[in-house]
Amino acid sequence: MIQIQQLHKSYPIGKDKLHVLKGIDLHIKEGEFVSIMGSSGSGKSTLLNIVGLLDGHDGGTYTLNGQVIENLNEKKAAVLRNKFLGFVFQSFNLISYKTALENVALPLYYKGVPRKERLEIALEYLDKVGLKDWAKHLPNELSGGQKQRVAIARALVTKPKVVLADEPTGALDSTTTHSVMELLKEINDEGMTVFVITHEEEVAAQTKRIVRLKDGVIISDTATANAKKK
Amino acid sequence: MFDRDLWAEIFHSIKKNKLRTFLTGFSVAWGIFILVLLLASVAGMKNGFTSQFKDDASNSIFINPAVTTMPYDGFEAGRRIKFTNDDLTYIEGNFKDDVEYITPRYRKSTIAKYKKETGNYPIRAVAPDHQYIEKTKIIGGRFLNENDVTKKLKVAIIGRKIVEDLFDEEDPLGKTLQMNNSTFTIVGVFTDDGNDREERYIYVPVSTMQRLYSNTDQINQILLTYNPTYTYAQALDFSDMLETLLKRRHRVHPDDQGAIYINNNAEGFSDVSNFTTMLSFISIGVGLLILLAGIVGIGNILVFIIKERTKEIGIRKALGAKPSQVINLVILESVFITTISGVGGMLFAMGLIGAVGGMIDTPAFSNPSVETSTVLIALVILIVSGILAGLIPAIKAANVKPIVALNAD
Repeated sequence: MIQIQQLHKSYPIGKDKLHVLKGIDLHIKEGEFVSIMGSSGSGKSTLLNIVGLLDGHDGGTYTLNGQVIENLNEKKAAVLRNKFLGFVFQSFNLISYKTALENVALPLYYKGVPRKERLEIALEYLDKVGLKDWAKHLPNELSGGQKQRVAIARALVTKPKVVLADEPTGALDSTTTHSVMELLKEINDEGMTVFVITHEEEVAAQTKRIVRLKDGVIISDTATANAKKK
Repeated sequence: MFDRDLWAEIFHSIKKNKLRTFLTGFSVAWGIFILVLLLASVAGMKNGFTSQFKDDASNSIFINPAVTTMPYDGFEAGRRIKFTNDDLTYIEGNFKDDVEYITPRYRKSTIAKYKKETGNYPIRAVAPDHQYIEKTKIIGGRFLNENDVTKKLKVAIIGRKIVEDLFDEEDPLGKTLQMNNSTFTIVGVFTDDGNDREERYIYVPVSTMQRLYSNTDQINQILLTYNPTYTYAQALDFSDMLETLLKRRHRVHPDDQGAIYINNNAEGFSDVSNFTTMLSFISIGVGLLILLAGIVGIGNILVFIIKERTKEIGIRKALGAKPSQVINLVILESVFITTISGVGGMLFAMGLIGAVGGMIDTPAFSNPSVETSTVLIALVILIVSGILAGLIPAIKAANVKPIVALNAD
């Protein structure tokens, strides 16, 4: 599903360059539940940006769903993101003046699905995350956990190949963290590839594979107990 | 474009920035308000000037014989030039395509008498075409016709003021008027936009008058209108040509400026027309500059809105919004604000003109108004300016990197 070879990325800082990713090799198969761990500055967010087609890479190859990613313009990137990727952000990133239902339906709008149909599909996914009754509520009327569940429903609504979650529980307390992770597990059990970035050990422990990143290189890549259980 | 979600977002953005939207919208409304008002004022001035010339057809040429000022061809200076019926026939025959209407004028004055009332009035002995050149309006009966002229009938058309003077309450049509020992039947009454003096003329057939005055063939003046499709330049060429030929006919020195005096309305008219056209351009220029200030304002507010919505745009892009969709959103909002406020300003200006315009009727300024075409052009300008105003902020928005959605806060 995701195939990364010798991935390099650096950012210019004045005249110098900050070498953030120094040759990452990573292969994620369909249906995996992977977490990337690392302290801040380890390059994990940069990796997610590149995987999520939000940023380009300088060297190496990146293949998403069999498609080699290089020299993407904004338009192509937008189409690929819409088609293959679902995003879950740390700060939820719901649009504040749209109801939960409209937020979930938004990716379908960019996909070109007619209004009536996309609202039906969106409601279906809200139901799936247990928030059908909250469909007409605005984000500021929802709790943190509810917001993140709306965001997950939004990430899933286009039936993407991969769900990318950047610190999905970073802004949540432990109870809601647990419920959100349960939801991600459920999604994974249904066969969705889930890619989580976190710095919390308990969160990583609930995934099936932990990739540890330090100073732009992978220092360990291990399967967790969850993986063997299955 | 007719997408419910798109409009919902535009309305939301406007609602969120009510005051700012109002203020910038106001500047566009103000710009178009001034533009329309300026154009209407120029139209008013144009109307005012044109009405000064309205008395006579705007394409008329008056030819007056006068006195030579230079000796020529064996004649001394100070000879009086006289026009005769032959001169008229000559022009008619040689300038068929150039002349629209033509008439001689033979002037006399008379004591006119009806029953016990009398008055002294000028007579204009003319041909039927005179009506169109002088723009005489018949309010009762008829004007002269060819039959009157060929049969040399003693018929007269009198001005409205003469009716007031002589006929009291009676209907003058069919009554007879005693003029210099002849009896004329009144067949028509006219009015004229000129002035009271214009309404104290008596029109009679030129042939009748010439016969009464010892069968003369003299005429005092030739009036004509040139082909109305002519430009001012063509009209001036034509009157120059007439002058040259008439001078040759009457043996006048080609450089003699006094012997034959040609008064071409085109000269004065082209001056006024140039003047008002210039004014139109100036007012369009000023109006557009004011509008430009409004457009910059709209661009400004949109840049701010984009800045505020950077994160939201980043989210949308992460969710699959194409740059073109983001650009659409911004430009449509801009066009929406400019068009709505512009139309508001325009309607306000037109309302004002409609309410006040009719009351204004002075010699230099009358009935200010805007044409539909002006309104349509203003609308197009508004939409185009909306697009222009939205362009820079839209490009800015399209360049927002989706990463900001992740990094913001």
